[in-house]
Amino acid sequence: MFPTGNPVSAYLNTRVTLFSSRLWEAENFSKLIETPATEMAETLGARGLPQLAAGFDSLDNRSLEQRIIAQLLEETTVLIRPLTGAGRDFLIYWTERFEVSNLKTLLRGKMTGERPAELLNRLTPMGSFGRLDIQDLAHAEDVAELLRRLEAGPYAAIVRQARRAFEENHNPFILDAALDRSYYERLAQRAEPLEKTNGVAFRRLMGGLIDRINLVWLLRYRFNYNLPPSQVYFLLVGSHYSLTSTRLRELAALPDLADILDALPASLRTSMEGVTEIPQVFTRMEHTAATSAHKVLRSGAPAIARAFAYLLLRERELRSVRAVLRGRLLDLPPADIRLAMYQSLSGNA
Amino acid sequence: MFRAEPLIKIRLLMLASEAPDAALELARFGIYNPAEYAPAALDEKPAAAYREAWLEAESRVSKLVERCGGLPKLTIPQGVAAPTLADLEELNAWLKEVWNACLAAHEGEARIQEEVRHLDALQETLAKLDHLDVDLARLLRPSGLLAVNIGSLPAASIKRMGEALSMTGSLLYTFDTVGDQVYAVIAGPRDRQQEVNGLLSQAGWRELPVPPELCAHPDTARSCLLEERKRVEARVSAECNAMDSLRGEYRSGLEEARLRVTLGQPLAEAALVGVRGRGALASLSGWIPRRRAKELQSALEARFHGQYWLNMEEPQAREARQVPSLVCYPGWLKPFVPLVKSYGIPRYGEFDPTLLFALAYLLLFGAMFGDVGHGGVILVLAVFLYRKLGRTTWVGIAAGIVSMGFGLLYGSVFGYEDVLAPVWLSPLHDPTHILTVAILFGVGFITFTLLANIYNQLNAGHLDAALFDSTGLAGLLFYLGATASIMGMSGFVDFGYFNPLTWGMALLGITTVAVFKWVETRAGFSERALVTAIETLETGINLFANTLSFMRVAAFSLNHVALALAVFTIANGFDTTGHWLTIVLGNVVIIVLEGGIVAIQALRLMYYEGFSRFFSGDGSEFVPLKLAGAK
Repeated sequence: MFPTGNPVSAYLNTRVTLFSSRLWEAENFSKLIETPATEMAETLGARGLPQLAAGFDSLDNRSLEQRIIAQLLEETTVLIRPLTGAGRDFLIYWTERFEVSNLKTLLRGKMTGERPAELLNRLTPMGSFGRLDIQDLAHAEDVAELLRRLEAGPYAAIVRQARRAFEENHNPFILDAALDRSYYERLAQRAEPLEKTNGVAFRRLMGGLIDRINLVWLLRYRFNYNLPPSQVYFLLVGSHYSLTSTRLRELAALPDLADILDALPASLRTSMEGVTEIPQVFTRMEHTAATSAHKVLRSGAPAIARAFAYLLLRERELRSVRAVLRGRLLDLPPADIRLAMYQSLSGNA
Repeated sequence: MFRAEPLIKIRLLMLASEAPDAALELARFGIYNPAEYAPAALDEKPAAAYREAWLEAESRVSKLVERCGGLPKLTIPQGVAAPTLADLEELNAWLKEVWNACLAAHEGEARIQEEVRHLDALQETLAKLDHLDVDLARLLRPSGLLAVNIGSLPAASIKRMGEALSMTGSLLYTFDTVGDQVYAVIAGPRDRQQEVNGLLSQAGWRELPVPPELCAHPDTARSCLLEERKRVEARVSAECNAMDSLRGEYRSGLEEARLRVTLGQPLAEAALVGVRGRGALASLSGWIPRRRAKELQSALEARFHGQYWLNMEEPQAREARQVPSLVCYPGWLKPFVPLVKSYGIPRYGEFDPTLLFALAYLLLFGAMFGDVGHGGVILVLAVFLYRKLGRTTWVGIAAGIVSMGFGLLYGSVFGYEDVLAPVWLSPLHDPTHILTVAILFGVGFITFTLLANIYNQLNAGHLDAALFDSTGLAGLLFYLGATASIMGMSGFVDFGYFNPLTWGMALLGITTVAVFKWVETRAGFSERALVTAIETLETGINLFANTLSFMRVAAFSLNHVALALAVFTIANGFDTTGHWLTIVLGNVVIIVLEGGIVAIQALRLMYYEGFSRFFSGDGSEFVPLKLAGAK
């Protein structure tokens, strides 16, 4: 079924196939909503989520998020084990968005004068993927010192540009946007050699991800933050997928959501039928990307593409599990949780 | 030396306000390993806030000391008390104030540096603007329809910026690149200037202010820049004086702060695991050597005059995995400790193999690399590289001496076998003998490891494993019985071809192992039978394969001579110069290549054939709380 000439591919393909058998179907979520609290830990453990099984009833949302990330990092560790070169670099860089998120938490914490111990508690443990000396950074006196220290570390390239922007304009939004854009631009750069060697499947996954990020950011910056078109365009990720840079420039200049959706390429426009709000755009595009990732996972695509597809799906699934657990902890009626899950998983928000 | 020192578990209860001094006293005591052994009732962490405050203070003191530099070596006076939480918070407030003052001065320095760079850039700009071939006065005139910006932005953003600017009807023209900064002119309609400014601030654009002088005649502009540079240089000197005065002003305070932070370190460190409490009560728990218990009691009594409660307990058998190992080694054995620790740390109560390792490793190395000349070179090199190798030098010296000793036994000097008469034998002249000795050594070594494992298992309370397992008494019985039987069959010893006693021992041993495996395996009948059969078979194969593995000792001693012969054969094909050059180079190759391989092989034999049989290596090291700077 899969190309087995290369032992690394064969190993990775087998790993991905084993992992993908853990992915949840819609009915699994339905059962989870109904599972009695006494059986919850066992159910989560049996479905390959040992990190969530312990302390599933914790009201601490941060801890739940940290355990979801720990689960993802653990599985990524297994998947990158046989990889070398560009594939390994890409998957490792994919985990770095959690560290970029830590970096943003540190910056916000310093802006609000948070104590180092509280700040450290809110950071996600990155295990062997961690490259930041968070103890040292948490003890920086202010944002300026923190940015200077970051510029001497592994995220110098991402931070340098953000620092310049922040010094000119002490706006945390600009800082966050600059960090996110730098991260995804570098992700796209790392994906390029893999797109050349791993064909259409990998490109489709990256396209789904970057197009969704660009379109949702464009709409939010344009209509929620009311930024002018040129500024909106500047904050987007340089792209060569369906939403090319030229297309993004055109879209950013349009005056309302309906016009933007009408001006989308045909492949995206059809999936946006009936959409009237920005959150729906996100849900629809995420659903489309998930469908595409499922296809890649079931196909004989190159191992790295299947591994990336699995990680995308796994993350989406874990966030759904988190939604169910949060819903239960908040004592929401099962019907409401089920409806929310349906809307999220089917893209019909 | 052969096992970890007996430890006792202590729990020191006192008022929470006394905890910093108690931790300081324990750190001064120098041999207390904090560990979490508090009763369930003490579920609070009274030192958590202390640790947090200490970490902040420590971070600030480190930064300030780094900036100020030149502080004298820290000495801790006797009888001085540890800071309380309130002291640390007060210290933190003061340190923050000092840091802000230093930061302001530092920022001042940085601003001046920035201005110097700016002047350099202006000077360069002046030269570049000459090439722009535009009338700057006209271009930058505020009343025009055109809004113009001159400045720099990160090179990575330039393409995107050009595209974004085109959406505002503006143009971007780059005219210089310095490092990762691109200098550019942006021109566009004035009515969209606000949008452009927003965009530029997002991109980290740095405006390059063009003073009116630069719009004037180039010579006037240059003299204007020269004046500005003189003014900035004067400010550099003023800022340096300000920094020096700050250093003088805060120096003594900073020394005091460093002392306070050092005195607070014990509780902050112990807070990680060894401090629990409830209300006004705090408990410090951990391990100390049993022989120092009375001494600790006296020290605490002298310091706290009965205002504490100290509980001491022997470790329970079930706690053995949690007890750290404290082994005191004589100085000559210490260089070998890292080699053992790279495999693992012995569990508390487990046989410590460091002495065995040192002796057997040297013996194996010498036997495989026996040569008076090569051993001498290793010895001289180790002495010569003393500064670089540190303590490892002694391993080199010992290996060199043992190699020389075996060289005398083999009669080998730089591969020459006719210079010295062998005291014992030349390996190449009697390979069977040397192979037999190597195997006998292996039998002895493996027997010793099995005995060590029996000791460890008995010590850990695993009587069944000590008696019946494949590495226990049953395994040893099988091994000795089977070895003696084979030796009898081969005629090596006079036990007769079929000796019922030795075969009986082997049969009894392997049957006991098989029964033990059967009892131990928790599975269905067929899986149990399969596991028992495979593991019993593995017992037999492993022990003998490991024994045969020691043949490599003989093989390498033969290899050493054979390599030397190869070098001599090549050398004999050349004239005098070529001959000696080949001999020297050949010996260098033998020392580097074969010496390295032999060192690794000896290590492999120790780890794989030795340690894996009896040494779990998953113990934890005794890490005492120490007071930095204390004598």
